[in-house]
Amino acid sequence: MIQSPAQLSRVQQVSLVLLRTLIGWHFLYEGYFKLLRPAWTRAGAPLAGWTSADYLNAASGPLAWIFRAAAGSSWLPWIDTAVAAALVAVGLLLILGLYTQAACTGALLLLALFYLSAIPTRGLPEPRSEGAYLLVNKNLVEAIAVFVVLAFRTGRIAGLDRLRAHDRNRSAPLRTDEALV
Amino acid sequence: MNLTPEQRELGRRNFLKALAGTPALAALGGAIAWKGPVTGGPVRVGFIGVGTQGRALLGVTGPPFADVRALCDINPTSLQKADEVLATNKQPPARHYAEWQDMLQKEDIEAVVMAPPLWKHAELASGCLEAGKHVLCEKMMAWDAEGCERMRAAAQASNRVLEIGYQRFYSALYQSAYEGIIKAGVLGDIYHSRLAWHRNGNWRRQGEPPSKDYDPSKWGYPTFEHLLNWRLYWKYSQGLFAELASHQLNVANWFFDSKPEAVSASGGVYRFKDGREVYDHVYGTFEYPHGRTAVFSSIESNAFDDYYEMFMGTKGTLIIIREVEALLFEEGNGERSTSVAVSARGEGPAAETTETQPANRPGGPTTAARAEGQVDRRASSRSEVERFCAAVRVGTPIACGPDRAIGSAVACTLANHAIEKKTRLTV
Repeated sequence: MIQSPAQLSRVQQVSLVLLRTLIGWHFLYEGYFKLLRPAWTRAGAPLAGWTSADYLNAASGPLAWIFRAAAGSSWLPWIDTAVAAALVAVGLLLILGLYTQAACTGALLLLALFYLSAIPTRGLPEPRSEGAYLLVNKNLVEAIAVFVVLAFRTGRIAGLDRLRAHDRNRSAPLRTDEALV
Repeated sequence: MNLTPEQRELGRRNFLKALAGTPALAALGGAIAWKGPVTGGPVRVGFIGVGTQGRALLGVTGPPFADVRALCDINPTSLQKADEVLATNKQPPARHYAEWQDMLQKEDIEAVVMAPPLWKHAELASGCLEAGKHVLCEKMMAWDAEGCERMRAAAQASNRVLEIGYQRFYSALYQSAYEGIIKAGVLGDIYHSRLAWHRNGNWRRQGEPPSKDYDPSKWGYPTFEHLLNWRLYWKYSQGLFAELASHQLNVANWFFDSKPEAVSASGGVYRFKDGREVYDHVYGTFEYPHGRTAVFSSIESNAFDDYYEMFMGTKGTLIIIREVEALLFEEGNGERSTSVAVSARGEGPAAETTETQPANRPGGPTTAARAEGQVDRRASSRSEVERFCAAVRVGTPIACGPDRAIGSAVACTLANHAIEKKTRLTV
């Protein structure tokens, strides 16, 4: 049974919120960087506009054909925008601790897509990857980390969700075991 | 520059050996790359003058650093050929203009890349700068010193980027030679540079006007032939010194870290007495501070010597041949071939520049050297345009702004005056 925030130690609470914040930043910057492009580095190197086409075309694993079909579809510009916007939205919400459960769900969906597009079944170094993986890769690990954040309802430890809950408590106080720390 | 294959190979090896340990130039810019990206897409560019040289630049301009929106030229045939360049590079077509003011007025462009005849550089570049556009102007900077100063003042007043198109400053070969050989003192004390650009061909071009009733007189050219062969007439051109020597003299200025103080020269129309005005043979001596001298020669009657820059120091000799091959020879016991070197192999230029296109290039035995180790000359031009766009968008420094370009321009125009006056002139 999952503990309520009140039953967690200070270190446990800080760890969970830190985990949520870092995951949020990871999502936010990934999305921001995609939306920002085309752009330039400070050293003067141009960065072409981002498209998921290369990523989708490089899909591997049993579901690769679905992603490759998406790369060739007329929906691609819409997919590009949607993915980048979703990354930003999820990242922002995770950092703020606002609608955390929904944000975690969104993050899980995105990570599931990323994982399914390239399930590491060969156990060898893959393109666009700095290591060799077999079934478990960084997307899957991050997904589980998001699940932990989801399960512990970290928005109620620290974040705007806590304020929202606090407002509700004024009119309808929580039971003792749901009390906020 | 004629050396045996063994000498060339030795020279190449020496050059590369001397460069060992020189930090990669790319790393110099990498130190600030961590700061994160800057918003903004490709620089919106318009072209003025899409003749041979303009099209060479157009051929290396495009995504991801530039978006060519418009082309301007008074010759419709040139515009047509420019369209073909864009199509070849799979770029969308650009709108056409005959008047550069119209282009500036109607197009949402940030920068102009221009390669019109030399006499128009000052007027057009200054006009674009005053209109708030950044300018990459093909060399030489301007027809006269006043024009150069006008351009420099316009850039300063408008706070816009003005770059003069000397692609050698963006060549990895020249940068390596400067950092690893010249600056490192490998040559010892350098007192002499020999600059040569020898060709065996008529500089005159053949071509038909775009239509029977085409009249370029309203742009200052009494006939189409004057427009086509503007390089051959003093009104528009400064001859071989501007078109060829200024490239090499700029390298001498760079490597000597100074500018000529005095010029003496000779020359004339000796071979092609076909109505041209500019000399077909020129010889110039450029005196630098601290007893350094650069000697330039350009002839249109023999291509055996090809084109190269040679720097002679107390400890060694550096030779850069045809922009693509560098050789290093150490001094010692009167033996000439103790060492040498270069250079990444690559394809030859996909789009020949004005100076290197076959009609202007030497033939004969020296062309065999093309098969040897080469760098891609086109890559330097591409890098030049890319760095210009980076300067516009991010504010990174350019390699050849007006302060640097004006030195060779003034010296080259002075060389023509020296021939005319048959005297030595001080800068």
